[in-house]
Amino acid sequence: MNWKPDWGLRGRMALTMFLLFALYIVFAGVLFAYFQSLAVMAGFMGVFLFAQFFFSDKIALYSMGASVVDEDDGPQARKLHAMVGRLSQQADLPKPKVAIADTRVPNAFATGRSQKSSAVCVTTGLMDTLDDDELEGVIAHELAHVKNRDVMVMTIASFLSSIAFLIVRWGWFFGGDDNRQNAPVIVAIIASLVVWIISYLLIRALSRYREYAADRGAAVITGRPSALASALLKISGRMDNVPKRDMRDSSEMNAFFIIPIKSDFIGRLFSTHPSTENRVERLRDMEREMETV
Amino acid sequence: MGLFDSFRAVLGISAESDATTKADPEDLFGMSTAYLTMEADLRFDSADEAALCFSSVDSTDFADTVDAVEDILTAGSEETGTEFSRHTDGHGYNWVVLADDDPEDLVTSVHFAADEFIERGYGSRLLAALFGFERDGDRAYWIYSFRRGAYYPFAPQGTSSRNQSLEFKLESVLDGELEIEDDESYWYPLWPSTRNGHPWE
Repeated sequence: MNWKPDWGLRGRMALTMFLLFALYIVFAGVLFAYFQSLAVMAGFMGVFLFAQFFFSDKIALYSMGASVVDEDDGPQARKLHAMVGRLSQQADLPKPKVAIADTRVPNAFATGRSQKSSAVCVTTGLMDTLDDDELEGVIAHELAHVKNRDVMVMTIASFLSSIAFLIVRWGWFFGGDDNRQNAPVIVAIIASLVVWIISYLLIRALSRYREYAADRGAAVITGRPSALASALLKISGRMDNVPKRDMRDSSEMNAFFIIPIKSDFIGRLFSTHPSTENRVERLRDMEREMETV
Repeated sequence: MGLFDSFRAVLGISAESDATTKADPEDLFGMSTAYLTMEADLRFDSADEAALCFSSVDSTDFADTVDAVEDILTAGSEETGTEFSRHTDGHGYNWVVLADDDPEDLVTSVHFAADEFIERGYGSRLLAALFGFERDGDRAYWIYSFRRGAYYPFAPQGTSSRNQSLEFKLESVLDGELEIEDDESYWYPLWPSTRNGHPWE
């Protein structure tokens, strides 16, 4: 079974990455040409960010309160291991570690800088909410992230953006008394701010495109686009029913926005994931293609 | 990881394209002589059963394909006496299980079934072919990965641990005769759900 490749998605993804790359080249050039001391500082920050990347899998698992489980750790662990094993076989991927986080929120994520050090984590809430086919769809989506090396791609994509942000934040404290400098530090801070804002939007767009790509991957791995679609609908329904933020907080925040943050153009521009309707619509296209071609 | 792989990962299409890689059945036939070596050198007898394991596709065309595979095996069983059954286990694996006391017939039947999937464009859904062996109550399997075109040994002990020294022995003795997967991270276990059961039971 082969689906038509989604060239539109690939094109948009490539264009986003190209723009991001061009922006970074200019930014790095400006830093090195006019602000050597800031560039040195950026180098140090780079080391710090690299370390963060190196421990990203442990940090992610720890912050979710997840623990890695073996086959023997109960029936849920056994079921997950079997499922992850089978789906990785189909995806032609070494079987990743399996972790469970004990929380009611239905969620799943994948970590790891390389395919061999990766882990797939699901919450107990997810396992309670979804049936086996749907759970398979979600796990396949996470395996597709591993396969597409999304942790690596997104880390590299946001690397200089993080540095730009740090310069905006801390630039005042550095390089102020360097007399070899031929431009005031305020210029560097403004340039960094511009770079940070533009790259932030581009990174968010890239993240959404990679979600679509992982959805396609999941559909192909499971051979069942409908499984992921119904899982997404179930999870998003559940998520909407459980308010995450204190009611007073959100109403106060919304008062400052001209357009309320939910479900509008600006909101979509800033979000890391595409809307559920759009994702389900694309999966539906794949389902249709499967029966008609 | 080659340059082409990195490129596909950057474009976010690795998952999609690797999950649809064509099956590679080239080296499946090595098992015919491996049966002899297993018996002569290691005194492992055939368990008289083999199995083909695949992931399904939720489409009518795929259901037709599975029916066609069953037809082929039914026709084959009249000729060779190979019995077969088809089921889905508790872990969601789909199995075609074959039973015959002539190992040669087992290899041929697995090949016929696999070939039908490939012919109809579902080669990428074939996960593995398993060939069972026994010696004094020890179970061992040679598993052929259609995704990677290579065999690996699997010796389960109980339901969740593997007898690594036996697997090492099998790998050492059969190396050269069978195309063996050299990256051990791809030696996926297929645990039996009961002690001394087959993975497909």
